[in-house]
Amino acid sequence: MKITLAMRGTMKKKYGDEERILELPEGSTCHDALMSLGIDYRNNKTLGFVSVNKMRVDIHTELHEGDYLKAFSKVYGG
Amino acid sequence: MKRRYERNIGTITEMEQQLLAGKSVCVVGCGGLGGGVIEGLVRMGVGRLTVIDGDVFDETNLNRQVLSNQDNLGHAKAVEARLQMKVINSDVQVDSIQALLDSDNARGLIYGHDAVVDALDNIEARLELEFACEEEKLPLIHGAIGGWNGQVAVVMPGMRLLHDIYDVEEAEEGEPEKPTNPAFTPAVVSAIQVVETVKVLLGREETLAGRLLTIDLLNQEYEIIEF
Repeated sequence: MKITLAMRGTMKKKYGDEERILELPEGSTCHDALMSLGIDYRNNKTLGFVSVNKMRVDIHTELHEGDYLKAFSKVYGG
Repeated sequence: MKRRYERNIGTITEMEQQLLAGKSVCVVGCGGLGGGVIEGLVRMGVGRLTVIDGDVFDETNLNRQVLSNQDNLGHAKAVEARLQMKVINSDVQVDSIQALLDSDNARGLIYGHDAVVDALDNIEARLELEFACEEEKLPLIHGAIGGWNGQVAVVMPGMRLLHDIYDVEEAEEGEPEKPTNPAFTPAVVSAIQVVETVKVLLGREETLAGRLLTIDLLNQEYEIIEF
């Protein structure tokens, strides 16, 4: 299946600001999509949350053909 | 109605203006976000504010924190907020508390208000504040900034939106790299927090309840994420 992945906030600076079309096996999750690009969010305090089609989802949510995945950086200053 | 509120009318009704005068808001944090929020709410005519901060102004605040100036460096932020707001609108009762919010004092600090504004600068305190608002059944108007980026949300009791944004385990381990804070990002985000607070206080339906407005000022991208 094909999905689109984009970064937001400082994730753009770290991992590029271009939209990426990813070809992933059926059943792949948001976690799998990020890891396929070497983005290991577990050791990365930059990642805050992910959304699919403008809905915040858990990182282990399964993706589907045509989904638009966005990875947002943590924003916490005041 | 006082002439000072004349230009509010039309955006809100006279009845809503009167309603604001009977409302109280607790603003937690008097820095970049808090300064803008406090001034906005005072100028709108919200009746009572409690402003909380345990810090003092220093030179690095001057680029963005509207309550700071060259003459009040070293002064308590909460006290300065109260003194400066008295000059802008003496009808508004502003109480200042010099304290840092934590799990022990959070509920007591926010008790008895109609809404709470999150103008904090760290994840751990934000999560404590969300818990406290849930316990006290108070709406929380969240704002955060970092460099070109900002975000605003309205968290109604029980939503735990901040716990979905900020991973709890990571909060315990510390925070990511320290953000930069230019002048314009807190100005934009604090203004939107004022908008959302006023709507919440007036019972308007068009709020960001359960939604996060994400703001990228570098690319001028604004997006609402549903939770």
